[in-house]
Amino acid sequence: MAAAGSAIAPAAGSGVRSDRLERFVGQALALLLSMVIALALGSILIVGYGENPIEVYSAILDGSVGSVDGIGYVLSIATPLIFSALAVAVCFKGGMFNIGVEGQYFVGMVTASWAALELDFLPAPLFVLAVLVAGMLGGMAWAAIAGILKVKTGAHEVVTTIMLNGIAISLLAWAINFPLKFANAPPGQNVDLRTDVFSDKVRVGDIGQYFGVTPGAHLSWLLFVAIGTAMLVWFLLRRTRVGFEARAVGSSPGSAKAGGVSIGATQIRLFLISGALAGMVGMQQILADKGYLGAAYITLLGFTGIAVAFLGQNNPIGIIFAAILWGILSRGEVALQIGTDVPREFIIILQGILILSVVITYQIAKRRLAARQLQRSGAAGALEDSTAFDERLESTGSQDAEEAARPSDGGGPG
Amino acid sequence: MTLTDVAVAVQISFTYFTIIYLTGLGGLFSERSGIVNIGLEGLMIIGAVTGAFGARYFTDTLEMGQPWGPLLGLLFGAFCGMLFAGVHAVATISFRVDHIVSGVVINLVAVGLARFLSQAFFGQATQSDPGGPHLPDLDIPLLSSLPGGLDRAFEGLSPFVVVAALMVIPVWYTLNRLRWGLRLRSCGENPEAARSLGIRVSLYRYQGVLLSGAFAGASGAFLASEVIGNWREGQTLNLGFIALAALILSNWNPIRLMFFAWLFGFAVAIPLRLNDAPVINLLPPQFIRMIPYVVTIVAIAGFVGKVRPPAAAGKAYEGGGSL
Amino acid sequence: MNDGAGGVSSPPLVTLERITKRFPGVLANDAVDLELRTGEVHALIGENGAGKSTLMRVLYGMYPADEGRIFVRGGAAKIGSPRDAIALGIGMVHQHFVLVDPFTVTENIILGDENEAVLDMSEAQRRVSELADSYGFQVDPGKPVEELSVGEEQRVEILKALYRGVEILILDEPTAVLTPGETKELFGNLRKLCDAGKSIVFISHKLDEVLEIADRITVLRRGKVVGETRPSETSKAKLAEMMVGRPVLFRLEKPQVALGDPVLRVEELTSEGKLNGVSLEVRSGEILGVAGVEGNGQRELAEALIGLRQPASGTISLDGRDITGRSVQDIRNAGVAYIPEDRHEQGLVLDMTLWENAVLGRHDDREFSSGLGVLFIRKIKELASRLVKLFDVRTRSIEVNASTLSGGNQQKLILARELETDPKLLIASQPTRGLDVGAIEFVWKQILEQKAAGRAVLLISAELDEIYALSDRIVTLYEGRITGEFAPDAQPEEIGVGMLGGTEQEVA
Repeated sequence: MAAAGSAIAPAAGSGVRSDRLERFVGQALALLLSMVIALALGSILIVGYGENPIEVYSAILDGSVGSVDGIGYVLSIATPLIFSALAVAVCFKGGMFNIGVEGQYFVGMVTASWAALELDFLPAPLFVLAVLVAGMLGGMAWAAIAGILKVKTGAHEVVTTIMLNGIAISLLAWAINFPLKFANAPPGQNVDLRTDVFSDKVRVGDIGQYFGVTPGAHLSWLLFVAIGTAMLVWFLLRRTRVGFEARAVGSSPGSAKAGGVSIGATQIRLFLISGALAGMVGMQQILADKGYLGAAYITLLGFTGIAVAFLGQNNPIGIIFAAILWGILSRGEVALQIGTDVPREFIIILQGILILSVVITYQIAKRRLAARQLQRSGAAGALEDSTAFDERLESTGSQDAEEAARPSDGGGPG
Repeated sequence: MTLTDVAVAVQISFTYFTIIYLTGLGGLFSERSGIVNIGLEGLMIIGAVTGAFGARYFTDTLEMGQPWGPLLGLLFGAFCGMLFAGVHAVATISFRVDHIVSGVVINLVAVGLARFLSQAFFGQATQSDPGGPHLPDLDIPLLSSLPGGLDRAFEGLSPFVVVAALMVIPVWYTLNRLRWGLRLRSCGENPEAARSLGIRVSLYRYQGVLLSGAFAGASGAFLASEVIGNWREGQTLNLGFIALAALILSNWNPIRLMFFAWLFGFAVAIPLRLNDAPVINLLPPQFIRMIPYVVTIVAIAGFVGKVRPPAAAGKAYEGGGSL
Repeated sequence: MNDGAGGVSSPPLVTLERITKRFPGVLANDAVDLELRTGEVHALIGENGAGKSTLMRVLYGMYPADEGRIFVRGGAAKIGSPRDAIALGIGMVHQHFVLVDPFTVTENIILGDENEAVLDMSEAQRRVSELADSYGFQVDPGKPVEELSVGEEQRVEILKALYRGVEILILDEPTAVLTPGETKELFGNLRKLCDAGKSIVFISHKLDEVLEIADRITVLRRGKVVGETRPSETSKAKLAEMMVGRPVLFRLEKPQVALGDPVLRVEELTSEGKLNGVSLEVRSGEILGVAGVEGNGQRELAEALIGLRQPASGTISLDGRDITGRSVQDIRNAGVAYIPEDRHEQGLVLDMTLWENAVLGRHDDREFSSGLGVLFIRKIKELASRLVKLFDVRTRSIEVNASTLSGGNQQKLILARELETDPKLLIASQPTRGLDVGAIEFVWKQILEQKAAGRAVLLISAELDEIYALSDRIVTLYEGRITGEFAPDAQPEEIGVGMLGGTEQEVA
């Protein structure tokens, strides 16, 4: 094929590195840029409160990572968020939105509490394992409902998972009112509705003590479990059949199907994995923190997990860092209250702006990147019909290159 | 359980019909223009917190009294909902973010933003003081003279309920008899075709999304100031998602939507008033509270196969996440 | 042969002067000059990628030209959008129709140009009927577009342009989706338009049709004009040569192979109205060509054979074994490979790398993944490198995403992947759609090689050229049924009859 402008393929490897590197750098830059934008917008708000942005941001950093205790708190906050975000990300890779992590971890807490109360006869390490497994199974079961509904009836998981969240809240309320209700209330005291306190055997050990972190931070070895799980999820997605099929289904279900992948089986599998991860979210609270399951648990960890997943761009490693970042912001809330005139709600706004700017910046970066890669490969390929070219542009989502060429007849303010 | 109980349950269902229907109508305009909007819940939340503030501000602080105060409060809630929907519009239309991703973000941010606004408006992060002002109730003529306790179903309703029910007329007319409606629908069914005919698709989509914010915001404001009497975090009870389910089941038709909005409205009313009904009274109270959600799931699982979303919006429902 | 109503002496209606248009990495139009006269049918031909569509889109205001000028009726024209073009009387009917399916014919026609804010549909329908009658077009103004046939849809598209008062009508590959009979009808309608003083630009790569309908022909190659002529002064071979730059072989050497037993046997296959009792048979060493205009069940047939679609009734057997309704995985394992007609929807995962795409479908093999499910990345990459080299897939590396490949290279990758499995049966559905001549030749050679190796090939194609070039036997598919069987030397008219359902029709 003597194509005009065809290039001889350069030495193998040189193109490779530049392509992958470019993608990685592009993503990192996008994340950095979105953080800068968020901080800048936040500064405007801070000035509105009559404070100095530098001081405020320093206060946040100081209160979070400025002390050993602070770091302990940050990591402790991050632990359940990692599980939650992983749960969201796993489904997302398969093209599905699991916004029912909230409900799934509630059910996980219920089943784990049941195990913690009933399986007392097991020796300590087995006991803890059993409780964790029970938690995962609870989450899996709850997620499976949404998954099966989706595969068998086509019910969109956004609606079903939210409904299941609502049901789960009531389920938890029922559980601590009836079957799991405390039997041994300390005499003469008025206790909030909860289960009995779990035996010490099942309490997850505090590791903060080894680093000089106050026990109040409840930094447990679940942190290492979380990080290890993130690695496992990475391996699953990139290096196993399950992950391969999941990504194919999420990206191009038709081609996956034509390649022999069962879409329904993949989707259910993903919901099960996601549910298991979600089940782990509550373990920090009931095993490391409180030691029982109580009523006041509207913590929104499930939804925060979605935010962390987006921040981490659904990449398991990115999620670890995003969770830590979120922990810094959350912990910094306290420092704000103490040290400045800025209300603690500012952090929430900052978090909101951050999510928005990440999502938008990432989208722009993805398209610019794709357009540039297309440009480079265009020189190496043959000339093509412009309709096919447009097709390609659309499939990589970089319509802006074409749109820039097309005058604004249908563009509007866009 | 007496007939009066049933009648009161029906009365409550009208109230929740209003909320679900208005929110659903908002979703209708957005989705028929081609933009999937699952952020209806978040829009309602913003409408609720701003509406509660608006009602108090206009009625008491500005001393505009009845009915202007609460009315302006409702409009203020609608307006703020519209502004917030602007975020979804910019993200999805101008930046082409995945519709569902953006909707999820809207819901996330709304919770935090509501806390922030609540603190600013009421000095408390998660609720305002109870007993806020609201429109005077009315009784439906004729029907409120029914015997046997049935009259309760039509008494003491907020006039907004009537407004909501009548909304079907202008909405249907706009979509099907006006040029604007034809063009809006073309943007949702085949934006390529619309663009090729010189229609500014982005413009129509912005209008659709902003309208959804206005409707959902009004609905939330109604909930906060007319129904509950104050703003409280979590009061929207996932009604925004129930409205989404109703919208899907109604096949994006404003007339059918009335039926599903009322059906789900009644399901919401059951735990509020029909705890003693046969069969239902066998369940523990927490399980009764699950009923609206279970009803929604069963409905959506059972009938979703038969619906056909606007072609352009439907792609967002099927497509994989592109984050 | 036509001489056209627009004579040589009429002044040009539209002049394109040195139009140049660039896309990232591609020079689509290179200083193109073109003249259009009143009342003529002007054909614009060239192979895929020559720049014909681009040029007309510039004229229609969809793209701005980077260089060059446009004159309409003698005056310089600034065409910044389709609205401008329409205001100047220029309209375009695209290859892929842009109609709103749930809307009626009338709603589609008036959309964007409705006279008032409140719609009066009965009045609008009356206007549409009048318009259609004045040109002798048959349409039902109240019918929803989704119920129309392809030919009817095309008429609606043309009426859309006429409703807006266009004098110049650009048709982009209009006959790609029509049966020979519908094409005849279209040509009749075009003649009527020309008699009424309209001018037509007819973009096509189908030389027979061009020679039949055009008054003048302009040939593009690689973005440049390489010739302008009239049907009376040229021939199909000469045009082809101009298009490609060298004498083109329309027939490749078909290998002589002894036919074996039937590999594929399909009996009375039905599927939800799209397939209505298809029966056919392919033997080893044989290429069976299924000819037919798109939309008659081709896609459904291919999908049923590979397992993507459950047939309602009927049987499919491979080497005597019943594979009806089995899963895609089972059918593939039985020795079936699939070249899909839509390489993005059913072929490659564009967001995955080449090596990931190379193993899709075989990732379950023990060769590429362990029992527990861990992938053997190195083995997979070796496979990918080998495939890329063997089939000359032009790419910088196997680590790039499939989306960066050109259409031809994507198709080659799919071919490489599918043929690597040594399938007993190859299903090739529109395998060369959107490819340039070089890629087409490559694909054809590969398919013939399968035949030479004694395998069975089911070729489904809407391009008669392709059917002729490769098939040992030809059948026609119409409305989900096989309507005729032909020898490879049958005349196009005969096959056309089959494509129309086998009824006696005035084809000549």
